[in-house]
Amino acid sequence: MWRVVDPLDVFLLRIFILDGLTPDLIALQLFTGLALGAIYVLLALGMSLLFGMLTVVNFAHGAFYMLGAYAGIALLGIGVNFWLCLLFAPLIVGSLGLLAERFLIRRLYGRGIDYPLLLTFGLSYMMVEVIRIVFGTNGLPFETPDALQGASDIMIGYFPTYRLFVIAVAVVVLVALWLFLERTPYGLIIRAGARDPQIVRILGIDVARVWLVVFGIGTGLAGLAGLLAAPLQGASPEMGASILAESFVVTVVGGMGSLVGAVIAGVLVGVVVAMTSLFAPEFAQVAIFALMAIVLLIRPQGFFGRAGLMS
Amino acid sequence: MLNADFVARCKRHRVVLAIAFLIIFPLLMPFKAIAVNILIYGLYALGFNMLFGTLGLLSFGHAALFGGGAYACGLVMLRLGLPWYVGVFGAVLAGMLIAAVIGAFAIRTRGIYFAMVTMALAQCLYFLADQATEFTGGENGLRGIELKTIQLPAITLNFVDPLTRYYVIAFFVAIALIVLSRILASPFGAVMEAVRENEARARACGYDVRATRYLAFVLSGGFCGLAGAMQALHLSIVPLETLAITNSGLVVMMALLGGMGTFFGPFVGAGVFLLLENLVSLWTVHWQLFVGAAFVCCVLFFPRGIWGTILLGRAR
Amino acid sequence: MSEVILSTEAVSKSFGKFRALAGISASFPSGKLTSIIGPNGAGKSTFFNLLSGAFPPSEGRVIFEGRDITGTPQHHFAKLGIAKSFQITNVFPQLPVHENVRVALQALVSRYQIWSPRANLPELAERAEALLEIVGLQEHRHRAAGTLAHGQQRALEIAMALAANPRLLLLDEPTAGMSPEETRAMMDLILKLASERTVILVEHKMKLVMGISDRLLVLHHGELLAEGTPDEIRRNETVKRVYLGQREH
Repeated sequence: MWRVVDPLDVFLLRIFILDGLTPDLIALQLFTGLALGAIYVLLALGMSLLFGMLTVVNFAHGAFYMLGAYAGIALLGIGVNFWLCLLFAPLIVGSLGLLAERFLIRRLYGRGIDYPLLLTFGLSYMMVEVIRIVFGTNGLPFETPDALQGASDIMIGYFPTYRLFVIAVAVVVLVALWLFLERTPYGLIIRAGARDPQIVRILGIDVARVWLVVFGIGTGLAGLAGLLAAPLQGASPEMGASILAESFVVTVVGGMGSLVGAVIAGVLVGVVVAMTSLFAPEFAQVAIFALMAIVLLIRPQGFFGRAGLMS
Repeated sequence: MLNADFVARCKRHRVVLAIAFLIIFPLLMPFKAIAVNILIYGLYALGFNMLFGTLGLLSFGHAALFGGGAYACGLVMLRLGLPWYVGVFGAVLAGMLIAAVIGAFAIRTRGIYFAMVTMALAQCLYFLADQATEFTGGENGLRGIELKTIQLPAITLNFVDPLTRYYVIAFFVAIALIVLSRILASPFGAVMEAVRENEARARACGYDVRATRYLAFVLSGGFCGLAGAMQALHLSIVPLETLAITNSGLVVMMALLGGMGTFFGPFVGAGVFLLLENLVSLWTVHWQLFVGAAFVCCVLFFPRGIWGTILLGRAR
Repeated sequence: MSEVILSTEAVSKSFGKFRALAGISASFPSGKLTSIIGPNGAGKSTFFNLLSGAFPPSEGRVIFEGRDITGTPQHHFAKLGIAKSFQITNVFPQLPVHENVRVALQALVSRYQIWSPRANLPELAERAEALLEIVGLQEHRHRAAGTLAHGQQRALEIAMALAANPRLLLLDEPTAGMSPEETRAMMDLILKLASERTVILVEHKMKLVMGISDRLLVLHHGELLAEGTPDEIRRNETVKRVYLGQREH
């Protein structure tokens, strides 16, 4: 989650202080929530895919997110433009995810759900440290690409163009992922596998390869989220740690393994954070955990989780 | 046969053996500070292991219990001006109380959810401590927890002296060991093992799995709170990072490294981890890379941990 | 007809859109061995799980000894006097055989005692020993339960189910995956147990239960197709058509 650093946020805050709470202000803040939610959605989608398909809870998801931001920095550093970064950074991160699945996590299937979790946790330690060695321990700034700087008029007021762009990218990715899952034979296998891995095995499909691809997609989505978040908050080796807890909240609220749940919960959490930062900024970070607590009390399996999925 | 008999006898007197080891341990260590650290983190891992090793419940939010204990001890001494032993007592209570609150939410979920929810709620506590600056010192940590001397009826102990400090902390660790040993040997200890082994079976036998987990989580909170208090007295400051995710992860690593579900495993794990950290950090600041790699190897090749593997080798 | 120990009133169970059971009303006479049979997918396991409280029915009620137990949590069943064995072998694999039974016995007397030593409950160990003798496992008492042969694990499971001294014993395909010798031994054991309490048995091998059951319930496509004594069932034309006929192919 990014803190209130954007000049526009300061501007909004001033309106708030001078004019009080206008409907426009709330609407604009709602958009901020959408942009934040877009990042959560991308993270939670990846996490839900991995869990739904492989029953792997990826504790390195935050680290892959962080890698996405640094992959962007490295690519920009060798002269690749931002638009190509959007394509290549997730590919690089996804490939690393493939390697992790192929050589490490694959050995642990069938050994209980805790082991992949522990392994990915150890892996995240290593990834953070490697980034510290290569890029230094301090955070790095990440310039918003020129074309996306400034603010655009969205009828109700001016809103940072880059945040609109983040929302747009997330929507495009969502549609693409939906088409992939619904309209391609590979997607069909993945959906069937998420419902019941046994069926896929019975159909004689090479499950190992499907899982590999899924792991690549899941981590690639995390990488994309990290890249998109970088211009908003900069890049730092630790940026994945707190977002991990937040994406857990989104996954738990939406329901483990549910893609629809990930989308709805991601947006909801983003909006809740944005709204609390407007009314009580000091509680913005606590708000999402309160949201999770309420959901757990009312519906322990989350919005779209199947009851008893993990019994 | 003699060997097996010997092992069995060791098992029966494990608490006595452990305490004896605690007494000679600092004499074996080059730096007393490491010995104290191993004690504190060993105790922390002990509390964690009771949950993960004995009951099979993986929590990623134990920093909230450890850190909560540390803060409670410090706050009791600084804000209420009460003596240190009240602080220690308060820390145990705080650990159990925080576990009771976190547990009330987390226990509603099952399986892997538990790790995620405990982690998220611990993160929540971290942010709360960060925000309540006036009370907790925020990012600067809770400073100025002073304990210089301990008045006993007969003598006055100098807590500043490393060896004395070690034995004072070892005293509390010994009490924790005795308590834990009793819990493991109690009927409830048997229930925890049964739930770990087969949840559905335990339920069919008539055990309330959720209540069992809740009680164990709260008890675990007591041990971790005590460890936190020791940390606060030892450092005379509670850094905000005590509540951070990394501190939750640390104890998972230590327990796994040492051997889950074994009695001495947590201490072995804490010891190996801290010694490794000290050794590697002598020649590189990037010790986390090696710790991470060691952990990954442990998950892949020695899921029983160091002590667990030794025990298995003995048994064969 | 003798007293009824357990009955269901129009119980149904749906999983999403799939209706596994459609309004079954059945009663189980006290002190008798009743078998629930039916081809694969008939809803036997679902029915068993409803009776044993693994999950509640979507509609309808379950009555045990005149008491509505619909939706009662699983862990209360042992106290009610109902015990079950699972379809998949279900023991505490890493615990010794003796401890498996002892822990099952302990559930009735001590669940949350954290301070007094286990050794203070010696009568549990003795009763565990006695139960192991009934199922013929006493010489394996120190082995880890997971290392026992399949048939032995099933026997251990029954010893654990007996720990609660249940008035009603529910067994889900107790001979699944067993060799002929193991099956015969298990059948003898079941007969022995049925002489002292009510037993409900779910089984898809019809031949096996014909000889030992007092009554049979036949399920088909989630509905109660027929019920009666083995002879009545054998003569029932509908059963012959859907069940016996199927087996001949």
